[in-house]
Amino acid sequence: MSAHTDSARDEGAAVDLSDPKLTRFEVYKEGLRRDDIEIIHYEPRFAKPGTKAEKRMERIVAGLFLLSGLFATLFVVAFIWWPWEYEGAATWRDPQTWYTPVIGFTLGFSLLFFAVGVLTWAKKLLPIEELVQDRHDGGSSKEDRRIAESTVDTIVDDMGLRRRPFLVKSALLAAAPLGLAAVAPLGALIKDPADMYTVTGWNAERYNDGEPIRLMMKDGALVRPDMVSAGGQITVYPAIDHGATNQFPTAPTLLIHLREADAAKLRENLYPMYQDVDAIWGNFVAYSKICTHVGCPASLYEQQSQRLLCPCHQSQFNVVDNAAPVFGPATRHLPMLPITVDDEGYFVATSDFLVPPGPAFWNRPSLPEEDEK
Amino acid sequence: MAASAKRRRGWRKRLGALARFTGALVIVGGLYSVFSPSLYAQEAEDNAIDSEVVKGQELYDTSCISCHGDDGEGIEGRGPSLIGVGSAAVEFQVNTGRMPMAAQGAQAPDSDYPVFTEEEAAWLGAYIEYLGGGATVPDDLEALVENANVGEGGDLYRVNCGSCHGYAGGGGALSSGAHAPALTGVSDEEIYQAMLTGPQNMPVFADNELTPEQKADIIAYVQYIVNDDRDPGGVFTLGRYGPSTEGLAIFLVGMTALLLTTLWIAGKS
Amino acid sequence: MKRRNGSSDSLLTKAGGELDDRFKLAGPARVLFNKVFPDHWSFLLGEIALFSFILLLLSGTFLALFFEPSMVEVTYHGAYVPLQGIEMSRAYESALDLSFEVRGGLFMRQMHHWATLLFMASILIHMLRIFFTGAFRAPRETNWMIGILLFWVGFFEGFFGYSLPDDGLSGTGLRIMEGMTASVPFIGPWASAALFRGQFPGTDVISMIYIIHVFIFPLILLALITVHVALVFIQKHTQWPGPGRTEHNVVGFRMFPNYVMKQVGFMLFIWGVIAAMAGLFQINPIWLFGPYEVSVVSSASQPDFYVMYLDGLIRLFPAWEFRVPPYFTLPAVFWPAIAGMGLSVLLPLVYPALERRFTKDRGHHNLLQRPRDNPGRTSLGVMVVVFWTVGAVSGGNDVFAEKFDISLNAMTWAGRIGIVILPIIAYYLTYRICLGLQQHDREVLAHGLETGILMRDPNGRFYEVHQPLAEPDEHGHTELEYNGWVVPKKMNRVGALPPTDRGFFKSIEEPSENGAARDEIESGKH
Repeated sequence: MSAHTDSARDEGAAVDLSDPKLTRFEVYKEGLRRDDIEIIHYEPRFAKPGTKAEKRMERIVAGLFLLSGLFATLFVVAFIWWPWEYEGAATWRDPQTWYTPVIGFTLGFSLLFFAVGVLTWAKKLLPIEELVQDRHDGGSSKEDRRIAESTVDTIVDDMGLRRRPFLVKSALLAAAPLGLAAVAPLGALIKDPADMYTVTGWNAERYNDGEPIRLMMKDGALVRPDMVSAGGQITVYPAIDHGATNQFPTAPTLLIHLREADAAKLRENLYPMYQDVDAIWGNFVAYSKICTHVGCPASLYEQQSQRLLCPCHQSQFNVVDNAAPVFGPATRHLPMLPITVDDEGYFVATSDFLVPPGPAFWNRPSLPEEDEK
Repeated sequence: MAASAKRRRGWRKRLGALARFTGALVIVGGLYSVFSPSLYAQEAEDNAIDSEVVKGQELYDTSCISCHGDDGEGIEGRGPSLIGVGSAAVEFQVNTGRMPMAAQGAQAPDSDYPVFTEEEAAWLGAYIEYLGGGATVPDDLEALVENANVGEGGDLYRVNCGSCHGYAGGGGALSSGAHAPALTGVSDEEIYQAMLTGPQNMPVFADNELTPEQKADIIAYVQYIVNDDRDPGGVFTLGRYGPSTEGLAIFLVGMTALLLTTLWIAGKS
Repeated sequence: MKRRNGSSDSLLTKAGGELDDRFKLAGPARVLFNKVFPDHWSFLLGEIALFSFILLLLSGTFLALFFEPSMVEVTYHGAYVPLQGIEMSRAYESALDLSFEVRGGLFMRQMHHWATLLFMASILIHMLRIFFTGAFRAPRETNWMIGILLFWVGFFEGFFGYSLPDDGLSGTGLRIMEGMTASVPFIGPWASAALFRGQFPGTDVISMIYIIHVFIFPLILLALITVHVALVFIQKHTQWPGPGRTEHNVVGFRMFPNYVMKQVGFMLFIWGVIAAMAGLFQINPIWLFGPYEVSVVSSASQPDFYVMYLDGLIRLFPAWEFRVPPYFTLPAVFWPAIAGMGLSVLLPLVYPALERRFTKDRGHHNLLQRPRDNPGRTSLGVMVVVFWTVGAVSGGNDVFAEKFDISLNAMTWAGRIGIVILPIIAYYLTYRICLGLQQHDREVLAHGLETGILMRDPNGRFYEVHQPLAEPDEHGHTELEYNGWVVPKKMNRVGALPPTDRGFFKSIEEPSENGAARDEIESGKH
């Protein structure tokens, strides 16, 4: 196909460019011809130059450009002089709340006017044209291919790739470790996850010299039973250094004070592993706040329907049944933090979570206690 | 016929209740006057409170009794007991139009047209409080909110409230058809009452969990972000729902405008 | 072609001569100036992505002047009152300062974010156009694959971008990403520990994704876009079939001045739309979200729309966790998040090869197909679109549930059932519609246009007069061959009736001179 067009070009009578009588357009058309382009249709947009219609179109485009300039000026003026600093609560009457809208509107419309100007110019003032250009699809000519093949073969033979297999093999042998060496520095990123998923801030041995860890609120206040009313809940953290910060991402826990009837239901449903350690205290129960699905805080506590909802993927947990999942994509219950009240009347965690809190991970051990439920 | 008979029976029942109640008042009042004669001076005020209780009971017996039962004892499966919920809870539910509920459902929706006036709600509140005490809104709430710390309030809001009501107070869905309402246009009292009493699925934030000062901080924060401050980022806030409406906007506004433009630039050939 | 006076002409000639002396440009420049481009609105969709990308580079550079990717704990003392005194990371603080204490900073941030959404949205729309018209077929499979890669690199570039400010919402997104990473068999926990340098969230992840967001991924995007555009240029654009259009030519207008002027105008228009949206529509109000804390979350937490489909799949997927006692767990999130994303990358990448294999069509195609002419592919595409849409809507199902007062659980179940059933229904319906449209095209070509004129023959039978599209041949047949392009369906399309009026506010055309023809047809004398 490309051969066909090539020959077609050669057959065409090329104009003699040295002919002084050639018009500019004829020279131009010769250029098109050399690029395999043929004019199907080409006429000025306005048959007679300088008509009223043409002048009108020119005025419209010029007007759009001038409007664009005006808006750009307004943008610069507003950018510099419009009050912009945030000064506390503000209503729509305060000019600083209009800073972003004003500069956005002026810049946006400056760009839009210029755009419409250019587009109108292209659509309404450029000549009406239709051209057709040949594609040269489907690879190079046979000759070109043959030349390229010979060239590559010559290069290969010059290097002796076929004659010197030992060299090639040794180079490949060296390239493998060399490639490894190139990516090896990335290995600096590797860090042993160790027990980061299984040990939380409630681990007394690691974070509190073996003393049971108390429960605290975010502001550091230690939690007593009288601080949560029935039907209420608070978020608690281990009362250790930085216990309420992101350093202990699996520690946040929801302490819920159940109403008597709900607490009775929970006691009835309690998993054996939690019965064994006496995990709930009175009508108080503490569940890990970190969803067992992918780790958002499952903290939407519904005190009538006794559900905990995770807002990220809508997993729902039954508060009066060990926070077992009842809806959504979560597969495991929210681990319960075993709690009791110490001599001074503060809540303490009697141990870390019995099962790892938070989302599952590949090497998460399947604990026999979980299957007992 | 049947309806009017029912109505007459209702009347009789209500008159009976009123008579019993007045009788009880007379006895209590009599005993009271016998044992504390020195407090005669306060009698007029007590009467005023009592009459609020009476009026509240009247309203209760017409509009609430069918679900919450005689003397607010509650009816299993229809309405919870109201003994001990206090006047704050009643006023919150009634003034926001949540109660009386039009139909049993997962959620008592709020309404712009509450059935009772604020005065009537206060009477109802007085009656429920008479039945079993309960939580009340402090009188100096306005001053508390005035002196509140907005930043502290924001911190508390994000830990305790934002999970259901959303970062921007736009509300959020709960399980099975329930939802946490948006906080736009709510009064300080309503927020306080809601925190104090934990209406419907909302957990209770009594004074031992959040002190009145902390509650005032939260109120100040909510009013700041929801009602007082105008967002600086534009004319349209897209409901502040986050990425879902932003995604809609880029298709409905941005892409649509540009697709129309492509049609104008190139035509359909 | 404008006529200019001699002096400016000679100046231009002189400058051109100087350049050519040094760079030998006359030949290549002519090829460039004269290149012919086909003209159709649907060929302008990719440009939206290209020009959004340029704006992203510009606005992103501005933001980088002020943003500090540091997770050092600081106490906020900036202008935004409700956060004063709050502990936060330096990254969040600098993002707030950028929004409140840098002149025009909020506008720039919003422009960057809206441009991102437009970038991703236009890639999707552009991809649909390529798919439904078969423009991905040989010889353009490579460019299709580059396009798919562009979407996915853009996907992560965007995700990392909105994770940078370290606000409550972005932290929630990272939290979910951590859960997804940890679910990968064998390497999950190690990959997570590598990304967060230990336990999530750690103190390094922001600076890590910062270098990816501002350097590595933009570089990849830039390289891919360059190759993508260069290939379009080298392979020449596809075109719709039509009179004079063959597999071996391109019919259209010249690169200069027509095409380039339209491109420049369109670029400015796109920027204008983004700038206006950035000023008028608030996006991602990070000051409301507060700093990221692991114990804090908001209802209606969603990713940006291009991630929402994946999030929807995660929401809809049932609670199926596989355990291999005693040590291994394959969490439920693995299937929608890791396997789902893997398939979403892989299937589109290999689709051109699959179609080639299946249809045994190994030829080169420079003419596009109308979607109706390949009902199988079109139905498959609509199926994917429906699947994607159900996923994306489910990614915001809590917002839907709340705003339209639908039960959240019902929304989830509707999504679970819908994502299985609806694509199948969509496939069937689309297939039938395509066949119907094809049939109608053929009918018109065979029998002519419906004129709306009812006639009654001497037997009393009523029939509609059809206007044949071609002169009858010697056998009196007027049947035409379908050429893959629009078949006129109305009388005014063939000039028998005046065309519908054009013009936006008032007609821009002279009254038609075809009134006589219309009268003739209406009176039944054809």
